[in-house]
Amino acid sequence: MTDGLGGTDGSAGTGHRPSRPAPSVFGLGAGLIATVMTVATAWDWKYGTGFSLLEVFDKFGNNNPVISAIPDTEFSQMFSPRSRNAFVETLRLAVLGTASGVLVARPLALWSTSFGAPNRVALVVVRTISNVIRAFPDILWALLFVSAVGIGVLPGVMALFLFTIAVVTKLTADTLDGIDMGPVEAANATGARRAQMLRTAVVPQILPAYASYSLYAFELNLRASVVLGLVGAGGIGQRIEFFRSQNQWEKVWGLVVMFVIVVFIVDRVSTLVRRRLI
Amino acid sequence: MIRFTKASVTYGGGVHAMKDLDLEIRDGEFVVIVGLSGAGKSTLIRTVNGLVPLTSGTLEVNGAEVTALSRRGTRDLRADIGMIFQGFNLVNRTTVLNNVLMGRLHRVPTWRTLLGWYPGADVEIAMRALERVEIVEKAYVRAANLSGGQRQRVGIARALAQEPKIILADEPVASLDPPTSHVVMRYLQQINRELGMTTIVNLHFLDLATAYADRIIGLRSGELVFDGSGADADATVFENIYGRSLTADDTMAKEAAGL
Repeated sequence: MTDGLGGTDGSAGTGHRPSRPAPSVFGLGAGLIATVMTVATAWDWKYGTGFSLLEVFDKFGNNNPVISAIPDTEFSQMFSPRSRNAFVETLRLAVLGTASGVLVARPLALWSTSFGAPNRVALVVVRTISNVIRAFPDILWALLFVSAVGIGVLPGVMALFLFTIAVVTKLTADTLDGIDMGPVEAANATGARRAQMLRTAVVPQILPAYASYSLYAFELNLRASVVLGLVGAGGIGQRIEFFRSQNQWEKVWGLVVMFVIVVFIVDRVSTLVRRRLI
Repeated sequence: MIRFTKASVTYGGGVHAMKDLDLEIRDGEFVVIVGLSGAGKSTLIRTVNGLVPLTSGTLEVNGAEVTALSRRGTRDLRADIGMIFQGFNLVNRTTVLNNVLMGRLHRVPTWRTLLGWYPGADVEIAMRALERVEIVEKAYVRAANLSGGQRQRVGIARALAQEPKIILADEPVASLDPPTSHVVMRYLQQINRELGMTTIVNLHFLDLATAYADRIIGLRSGELVFDGSGADADATVFENIYGRSLTADDTMAKEAAGL
């Protein structure tokens, strides 16, 4: 036995090549199950949906008020003051929900790590809270808040606030799992308090990712705010819902076009900024 | 003064990293700890500032019993002990100055830390620490843009900024090339001689140990197997510490020449 002087990879000449390992049973099984499930749910039987492409084409070919309104799209809706106000309200909703959410998400994320939490109890409590928030979809939060505080912007902001906390806490906490623990040890070795250690050794490491997640949350919130409006949580969604209930599909399409343009612009800007951050 | 009495450390998996250690280190000494990896060098250094708690026995540092300290007391103790790491442990995304200011955290109120608004006097101390290791011109450069040797000097400056009584250095040159290693060791020696800080350094290169140490402590499987001056430590002593004959890998000079 040598003690591996100048140890390079492997010991050339000795040993024999291993035979190729058998394919993983788990991978094969998972693939098989996924395929079977997909086919079974689509098939036309007791437990299936009976999905058929032919049916899709048939139905779209029928005289459909939604589709047939497309050529008559009222682009003038984009310039009506009421629509514009509703749009501004949607933006306000998204900005307010995102800003308040990301502020709360940062300490929550720090507290949901073993090195950031002051004790085990705080760790478990914070993790449970963010898991519960995440378990409810945003639309459900909006429905709850609309019933609780009535129709308007407030339930929308509250729903987006919680939704942002859920998304940004989760993503930031995952980033925290992968940080370099060396500076944490160094800060602790200087006799720093926990908050000081987190601020000087941890926050600089996660700040770019956190900023990026915050922007991403804003993109998600802008889209979500429309859906929330459908259940009465204010903004452009509420106006779309109004026209929809009156079967004024030309106006609905006008608003949709406007919304797509806004989302596209926000997406592009946000993507450019985020690319520079990471 | 640092005094271990019947001190032991046993880790979760039943590994005895320190066995019944009796050791006294006087103020102002420059002590080098040698031993193979796994001999308990890092454990010994980390018990001094309480990063690793003793399983049994007692350890007195600057008059305080480390095992009996409250959380607050531990922080106060650590404020007087600077630490230097093998992997530098700098925050790469921030400036050199911010990294060195970490050494001032114990003296700075938490709210100021949170705002990143350090008192002028503390910035001055950090700058002087950078001047001592001759890297002050990099104060506003991101730590990520420095070479390994420069990073370790920043690591030393961070420890100095604490204005500590004791400096612990855990394999400070293991990630550096031989010439840079000597530069770093000379800074540590200078700090020990000029500022009188007790310095404990873990090393695994024998020639570096004998070149810089006033006193060498040899560890083997968590036990003290040698304690003497650098001059007393010859090849036989090291063969006993390592429990095997010496090879070219054990000295930095031969490694540098051989590669």
